[in-house]
Amino acid sequence: MDAQREYAREYAFDAVVIGGGIAGLQSALDLADQGYKTAVVEKDASIGGKMIRLSKVFPTLDCASCITTPKMAAAAHHENITLFTYCDVNEAKRENGRVEVRITQRPRYVDMDKCIGCRKCEYACPVLVPDAEQGGFSGRKAIRIPFSNAIPQKAVLDVANCMLCGKCASVCPTGAVVYGQKPESFVIKADTAVLATGFELNSRLDKPQYGLGQIPNVIDAMQMERLLAPHGPYGRVLRPSDGKVPDSIAYVQCAGSRDASMGVSYCSRVCCMYAIKQAMLLSGALPLADITIYYMDIRAFGKNYEQFYQNAKAMGIEFVKAKAAWLDAGENGSVAVRYEDQLEGGAATREHDLAVLSMGMLPGWSPRGVCPVDVAGDGFLKTLRPKTNPSLTTLEGVFTAGTAAGPKDIVDTITEAGGAAMEAAKHLLSRQTGGVSLREADHE
Amino acid sequence: MTNNPTNAILSKEALKALREERKEWIAAASAASRESRKALKAVRERLAQSSASIPEIAASTGLPPDKALWLVATMKKFGEIAEQELDDGYYRYALIAKDVEDAPDQAE
Repeated sequence: MDAQREYAREYAFDAVVIGGGIAGLQSALDLADQGYKTAVVEKDASIGGKMIRLSKVFPTLDCASCITTPKMAAAAHHENITLFTYCDVNEAKRENGRVEVRITQRPRYVDMDKCIGCRKCEYACPVLVPDAEQGGFSGRKAIRIPFSNAIPQKAVLDVANCMLCGKCASVCPTGAVVYGQKPESFVIKADTAVLATGFELNSRLDKPQYGLGQIPNVIDAMQMERLLAPHGPYGRVLRPSDGKVPDSIAYVQCAGSRDASMGVSYCSRVCCMYAIKQAMLLSGALPLADITIYYMDIRAFGKNYEQFYQNAKAMGIEFVKAKAAWLDAGENGSVAVRYEDQLEGGAATREHDLAVLSMGMLPGWSPRGVCPVDVAGDGFLKTLRPKTNPSLTTLEGVFTAGTAAGPKDIVDTITEAGGAAMEAAKHLLSRQTGGVSLREADHE
Repeated sequence: MTNNPTNAILSKEALKALREERKEWIAAASAASRESRKALKAVRERLAQSSASIPEIAASTGLPPDKALWLVATMKKFGEIAEQELDDGYYRYALIAKDVEDAPDQAE
């Protein structure tokens, strides 16, 4: 299949970073600041990854966008960084001592050089489809800027939902809409690579005990992030079934982790803390609401995390040590949570206006058939020395950062991304000076 | 990204070929657009009478409440609707008078 593609262009960089989320951006910035020409390859139409979609971060409750946007802008404007968005990696391999990445850039149907991000096309477009960027809770147009602080601020046309009515092209002041645009394949050659391919949440639609997505007002934590975000779909927290201000909200922990039936036997490490964070934010947004967290164990292992948990309890958030066994539709749009209380004993059922499933983290990308780098048993990238050098993969000159190698929080992700950049820089230096690489040093 | 042929020089034949190539998508998008235009019109007509909550909009338009909320959230995003006061657990919404061309479904 790949042999049929025509790779029209070839670019040379010192480093290529696969993934434009917070880990990839941090690695790219750290490499670029050392003078290395760096390419960032992102699958979405905007860089920023999961973090730019969050409301706030734990345990400081800082605005996630306020941390991510400056890094996105810094990367976009850095003289040593080139962004490639809306790209699929077809192949990544080592060739003659360098890393060669074969990429196809999907068409945006918009001329990137001409688009000025005015959104006139978006207002003119007559087609409404669910906006995944807002958890599906509101609509977007077939042509749109992906989200308000997207970088690049360029429109993208969802051609599968386009009527080809011509409205967008007719209002575009720069003639940027290109209905006939084609995908373009190209090759990036670099001396080193950082894989920062991130994570996806497993789906709330996959668990029969939690309703397979058929129970109204059962949402996942990323959807709640959007409800809590200042530019969220409703501008506040409402119940999606009917717009009611929820009086009672439940969090179901380990809804997608530590659960062999979901294929995720590991702990996702961040769910306890993001649930506590969201509960605290909800306490601020809805002071009269009852918030209950059904948990098996609270894992608050990071700096100031335990204090954060204690603060949540002091704020009146109720923690019930129980594994929620079953969810069902209750009366008037409520969600019935059936659980076995592990402290009080016995099975019980409580109804809530809204239930949030704390889903687990899955690898965002599988290298199988694309890149000869090993994966571990959990599907995340295998790291050779998880304790002493967590960014070292099984492929010479290729490093990893962030949740590509396993679930972790933002603090650890950013720290690790800096470490990966340092290892990549050391690799670049060893090539330039003819010194020994890490693996060569191992064999001596 | 390959930017040629640009729209400025995209011939009628090329557009016709694109329409043929994407006819299933176009048919589905057109049908969905017709539905949403109809629903938006119903919401707009209800709100032209007075501000309303989601259950009230749903009751008078016949739309499911979740669909009514989805449309109201979308219209709010595009500046056609403003949130009003909280009324017995539900916010009320009202139309904002503005140019028709800014409405989410103004195109034919």
